[in-house]
Amino acid sequence: MNGLKKEIKMGREAILESIKKNKPELLTVPEIKKEIFAEDINVKEVFKDNIVLVGGRIKEINIETIDAEIKESYANAKRIVSTSSKTTLGTVSVTKNTDPHTLEDIDLAIVEGELGVSENGAIWVTADTSIVRALPFITNDLVIILDKEKICLHMLEAYDKISNRDRNFGVFISGPSKTADIEQCLVVGAHGAMSLTVFLV
Amino acid sequence: MKHSEKAEIFNKDEAKVNWHDKALWYVREKRDNSAHKVKGWEYLRELGSGIKANVLSNLDEYLIQFESNAKKNGIHVHWASNAEEHNEIVNSILVKHNAKKVVKSKSMLTEECHLNPYLEKKGIEVIDTDLGERIVQLAKEPPSHIVLPAIHKTKEEVDVLFQEHLGTKPSQGNPEYLVSEARKHLRNKFLKADVAITGVNFAVADTGGVVVCTNEGNADMGVHLAKAHIACMGIEKIIPQEKHLGVFLRLLARSATGQPITTYSSHFNKAEEGKEMHIIIVDNGRTEQLSREDFRASLHCIRCGACMNTCPIYRRSGGHSYDYTIPGPIGSILSPGKDLKKYSSLPFASTLCGSCSNVCPVKINIHEQLYKWRQVIVKEEKQPIIKKAILKTAGVVLSKPGLYDFAGKSARFALKNFPKFMIYNKLNAWGKARDLPEVKNDNFDEWFKKRNKDG
Repeated sequence: MNGLKKEIKMGREAILESIKKNKPELLTVPEIKKEIFAEDINVKEVFKDNIVLVGGRIKEINIETIDAEIKESYANAKRIVSTSSKTTLGTVSVTKNTDPHTLEDIDLAIVEGELGVSENGAIWVTADTSIVRALPFITNDLVIILDKEKICLHMLEAYDKISNRDRNFGVFISGPSKTADIEQCLVVGAHGAMSLTVFLV
Repeated sequence: MKHSEKAEIFNKDEAKVNWHDKALWYVREKRDNSAHKVKGWEYLRELGSGIKANVLSNLDEYLIQFESNAKKNGIHVHWASNAEEHNEIVNSILVKHNAKKVVKSKSMLTEECHLNPYLEKKGIEVIDTDLGERIVQLAKEPPSHIVLPAIHKTKEEVDVLFQEHLGTKPSQGNPEYLVSEARKHLRNKFLKADVAITGVNFAVADTGGVVVCTNEGNADMGVHLAKAHIACMGIEKIIPQEKHLGVFLRLLARSATGQPITTYSSHFNKAEEGKEMHIIIVDNGRTEQLSREDFRASLHCIRCGACMNTCPIYRRSGGHSYDYTIPGPIGSILSPGKDLKKYSSLPFASTLCGSCSNVCPVKINIHEQLYKWRQVIVKEEKQPIIKKAILKTAGVVLSKPGLYDFAGKSARFALKNFPKFMIYNKLNAWGKARDLPEVKNDNFDEWFKKRNKDG
């Protein structure tokens, strides 16, 4: 055997010592040449296509009409949490101290996204904008409002843009919750939001 | 039991094997379509491979950096040399929080450590919340695929399982109905859970945070509702900087299911106020694999499952035939390092076609490592007498042209003239489940000589 039988010692020091002994010679981290991924495309249009591809809906609207647009899409929503100042539709207010368990029967959550990614339809949502971390997941349906100027080409660009944030919790959301675990049949609405509508303003 | 013997059991239901084969190939095709849409895909794979190679060469330093950054954010960091230590640490955290109910999202590491049976013995309810994992948990089976844990089950089987355990109505396997029932069942579990356990897709050294990827949202439902979050990771999950997520998140979902990214890519950097976050860093044989020059690249693996979906053997033998936590080609190069004797048949469960290496997002030379393990195993492990005898005979025959000619003639004569029972029997593995080729009168040599004579 080319493996070495070693005594198993407890925890941290043993692991670090064993790595030191067994690791190969130092190799450099490759430099990422972003120009190789450069593409001259309409990032907004590709973003829209990808939102649909991942099972979401997207509409570019005028900010003044947002309440009417949301009402039209979710006519039956009664218990609505909005953490965005762009809409007045919220009926349930939340603070940082809200117990997430009380949000179990929320019909609709409206949050603002900070950044969209063209290549995969993902939108960056943080604990700062959703206020309660569980909100975008526990809600029945989800609306994300996104500034149409804030769409970048790919994930590498996205990480450049969010590098100076306050790091607590953040999530890239790409479409509604889904599963294909029963015979590979795609079913939308597993544990998280049953639908996602993105309003570009 | 050897891989081939377990595969034979799976192959008893031919219709199911055909479905399994096609379903996985379909996922492989989706991977291709998705990858081909990305400009610079091959360069992206090179970057993934290069970053992982750097990680392994500086792993101790990155782990120390990761630990110190995580601690600055109030995260509790634990280290476990093996499965027992890992399970004990999990238990000690549960005891501290007086936790009786735990929800878990997908983690192959906790499978590897057999965490569920360990906690269940202590009277703790552990619920797997990924739908596929919940299905196999109810069926008391291990996952058969790392991304599609219940791919071996038909929808009718899931229907019966849910009737028995969740009290659902018979639906002939209606996926929408079954998922909606599972959603209700698991929502109740999320709301009542004391602690959430998750795996880790990537641990970032320069921030001390971890990233968890799911499509269902189960990791987030668990973590954001429970009092404490325990994230379990193998030492190799480290990446140097957060910007490297821009490489790996572009590769992962496309390679796994053909999606451009998973629905949720959650970045956990700090616990919510009043809550706790723990990270357990686990070795469990990984540093030993690191010592093996020929096999250390297996630690690059980001667990996408692409090598399984493309493997002609995996697709037709099913994940359970490997009898290891990680099945398929990648499992067949990881497992011999854990127990050479127990898993000695796995590196042979391959045609060495190389398709696994071609699709691997971090360019692990899987098929070359399979071949290398075979060489180790033939030296270390006793081989079946028949296999040895056949190879010895083949060696002699191939070295003597006259004998080779005679052997060919005899074989052709036998195939044409011998009765069926003499050809399709236990001694001839090549006659198993396949028809041997129809034989022509001449071999190439004879045909060539005749052709020259006829001018």
